[in-house]
Amino acid sequence: MDQITPNRRTAGGAGWDRVRRHTLLDRTYHWLMALCVIVLMATAFLPILGIKFEWLDIHWITGVALAALVLIHIVRALFFQDWRNMWIGWTDLRELWRDTARLLGSRSALALPGKYDAAQKLYHLGVAIVILAVVGTGLLMLLKIDTPFWRRNPYWFSADTWGVIYVIHGFAAMAIVATVIVHLYFSLMPDSWYLLRAMVRGWISGKEYAQHYDPSRWKA
Amino acid sequence: MELFRYSRSIYGGSDQLIGASWDLLPWFVGAAVLVIVVHALLSALAKWRARHSA
Repeated sequence: MDQITPNRRTAGGAGWDRVRRHTLLDRTYHWLMALCVIVLMATAFLPILGIKFEWLDIHWITGVALAALVLIHIVRALFFQDWRNMWIGWTDLRELWRDTARLLGSRSALALPGKYDAAQKLYHLGVAIVILAVVGTGLLMLLKIDTPFWRRNPYWFSADTWGVIYVIHGFAAMAIVATVIVHLYFSLMPDSWYLLRAMVRGWISGKEYAQHYDPSRWKA
Repeated sequence: MELFRYSRSIYGGSDQLIGASWDLLPWFVGAAVLVIVVHALLSALAKWRARHSA
């Protein structure tokens, strides 16, 4: 569960100095995953863009590392964290509708979200789908290469099935490029610098907690 | 614009599907840039409205 730095009260905000948003383990997971995705994108797309180098070994080893990270994340999220923080419910969809309407000029009241707002949850769902698609197909594609651990056996699937696997891997990889660009934009927006800091140092201030979150939906 | 890549057998016969077309990469990048531009414009408009209605 999320914790508050104990015994550190201030006059402002929710009355707390700092609210822990991400544990060290979750931050480590996030940045390791980011590193893997950057390496995978570079080894996938630089050769396509004309920068030739021996990319395959770096690509599959990093892909296996990403698969391991994703597996650890799924186990942690399901059994050791509150997965409902990321669950998309009717309240989130209503909130997303209201936020979009506000962005378009509506004067509807601002509803504060829980730990993650509706847009963040939808983004997470989209990333989860493309990452699972790229990791799942990538693991199958390991059957086509020799490694120190196994010999290649491309006859597990027919040529048509391999074609479909490669299509899914390719589309998911290009979708990841788009999601990374969007993620960088929202992370670097001045309005959300406090979230970037939370992903580096783990905490948001009590004032930011009071300003941006509904305490009944995210009990810090 | 092609959606898929195919290999052509030297022995003839039908083309074999081998993957997604990399020509689509700029479209994915463009879609991301479009999301950013639309969000930035709407955010700026919302802030402008808030300033002028206050």
